Amino acid sequence: MAHTPNRIPGSTPGSASGGAPGVASGRSRLAAQNLVLAYNNAVIVDDLTLDLPDGGFTVVIGPNACGKSTLLKALSRTLTPASGSALLDGVPIATIKSKKVARQLAMLPQSPIAPEAITVRDLVGRGRYPHQTLLRQWSHADEVAVQQALVATSIADLADRFVAELSGGQRQRAWIAMVLAQETELLLLDEPTTFLDIAHQFEVLELCSRLHAAGRTLVVVLHDLNQAARYASHLVVMKAGAVVAEGAPEEVLTAELVESVFGLPCVVVADPVTGTPMVVPQAGVTHRLDSAAA
Amino acid sequence: MMSAGVFKTATRGSGARATETGSARSGSAGSDSAGTASAGTASARTDLQAPAPAATSRTLRAGTWLSLPVRSRSLTVAVSLVAAVLVVAVLTVTLGTLGIAPADVVASVLGQGIGTDRIVWGTIRGPRLVVAVAAGAALGIAGTLFQTVTRNPLGSPDVIGLSAGAAAGAAAFGVLWTGIVPQSVGALIGACAAMTLVFLATGRGFASPSRMLLAGIGVSAMSLAFVEYVIVRVGREEAITLAAYLSGTLASRSWEHAATIWVSLVVLMPFALAISRRLQLVEMGDEQADALGAASGRTRLFAVLVSIGLATAAVNVVGPIGFIALAAPQIARRLVRAPGPNVVTSALTGALLLCLADLLTQQSPLPVQLPVGVLTALIGGVYLGYLLLGQWKKGSL
Repeated sequence: MAHTPNRIPGSTPGSASGGAPGVASGRSRLAAQNLVLAYNNAVIVDDLTLDLPDGGFTVVIGPNACGKSTLLKALSRTLTPASGSALLDGVPIATIKSKKVARQLAMLPQSPIAPEAITVRDLVGRGRYPHQTLLRQWSHADEVAVQQALVATSIADLADRFVAELSGGQRQRAWIAMVLAQETELLLLDEPTTFLDIAHQFEVLELCSRLHAAGRTLVVVLHDLNQAARYASHLVVMKAGAVVAEGAPEEVLTAELVESVFGLPCVVVADPVTGTPMVVPQAGVTHRLDSAAA
Repeated sequence: MMSAGVFKTATRGSGARATETGSARSGSAGSDSAGTASAGTASARTDLQAPAPAATSRTLRAGTWLSLPVRSRSLTVAVSLVAAVLVVAVLTVTLGTLGIAPADVVASVLGQGIGTDRIVWGTIRGPRLVVAVAAGAALGIAGTLFQTVTRNPLGSPDVIGLSAGAAAGAAAFGVLWTGIVPQSVGALIGACAAMTLVFLATGRGFASPSRMLLAGIGVSAMSLAFVEYVIVRVGREEAITLAAYLSGTLASRSWEHAATIWVSLVVLMPFALAISRRLQLVEMGDEQADALGAASGRTRLFAVLVSIGLATAAVNVVGPIGFIALAAPQIARRLVRAPGPNVVTSALTGALLLCLADLLTQQSPLPVQLPVGVLTALIGGVYLGYLLLGQWKKGSL
């Protein structure tokens, strides 16, 4: 799998997904098949085919504007593909009712807005919407799911506090608790660590790791390569709207890949704590794109 | 009603800090429950960070088919508001030289009044009171729906030109071009036209508060200019009626007016209640709402339509009364300390505000009875200034 990634992604069909299989095997619950995503005719993701391993902790990395978040939106049915499809259990997700999708798959966008004066418990309770109807708005199952989500994210003691009062890390855990309350096997998180200080970042990642260990399938967009390498069971590297490499972090994350994808000359060493790949940039990097082209 | 002293002082300091950074994501954790709240966006906007434990919630159940969560604080507030409306209502019919003796109120309301009481309830004060309750409620709901859709307290029907548009429509089809459609339909056409204009003029729909406000001011001015034009064109008597209507009035309302607004309210309120849950999710951002299966686009459109319907119904019978739709949802939100469109409490607050304003105009010592809209506009102007100042300080305008 540790191959040289394709520099001009999407130029020829089939090469877009690098060394990955060109066709979705259809065996994982969540997949993308020849996915083309565009905003107002500007193509963001071009002919992308990808399988998100069941029970895996998939981390998607890539430079800014490479289409990571856009991919997550399509996988969570919040963006309709221009062509191709995101598949949930082999069915194009856009053809499934959104509320039904939300009982299978939960998604936390990059910057959700906490309503004014909402308590943690109320916020988490909103994750129960897909399980409720107009007249049956609150059941015992809802109560249980909310409590379990609060416990799983270690914020049960904060349940009656206002979200606005929480620290950044606590707040992010409250949002994750909200999507956990959806009780879905699939969990998509778009940059859950952004805006957090480093301790809170690890707090959130450890939580993700626990959820993964408990059997959930995670797909998480991250910016920090070392964190990605440390926590991912499956790494997906994107550039300019295409997957250029995927596989186990140890196999995928090489100095050549980082330089070609991010334009950052670096060495990759073993993380002294976990032994996973650790990217250490070389000194005097000023013109990233120039050196990338070299 | 609010034991505000404690929590206001407790949050002042943090509120000021949050104001500086505007959209600060968070501060450090408030570690104790005594109210050392950290600075967050919500705290910057309001004084809602009560140190008191958050309101508990109960579930209203009926068999297996119905279970609705009811926050006990919301319930308390709602009951208090109903009581307050009743008190104001009783004062409205009993005060002044024409007032019905308190002992005779019930008999009069039941149609068994005698002498002047019959006229006072039947034609003078009864209809205007009944109209005021429903119109205030309709405006309150319209306001809370629209404010939630726009995620902004300034996104109210009266601020962004909906009311003025409805007034122009009512004037056009009710006075100038009579016989084409009924006045109420005319008001609806005017309101829809005004909202379409605002929607298009902002370029980004209702997403940008400052653009929405500017477009709203423009559309309002155009609508009111049109009404002025109608006033000039029509006969003197009609012009006087229209001028009073334009400022918003409850004077000489009839039982027909009462029936119109109540029917509209009863028909549209269930829709408002039904959409409010999805609207709560839209409050968390379109993407999050979509991911939860609440279809943000459709939810927003539906809420806007219900809001237009309610505001138009109110404007149709009482004219473009300002302030109620703007302030009622905000007051309700502070009372119940809960997020989301508080449909029932906003409705009750709207009803209370309008009844109270009308009571003041009726009992004011001025030789001429002011149209109630003049009073609400006066208070509303001050309140609008306060809101604008808050948004300007926050840097979100």
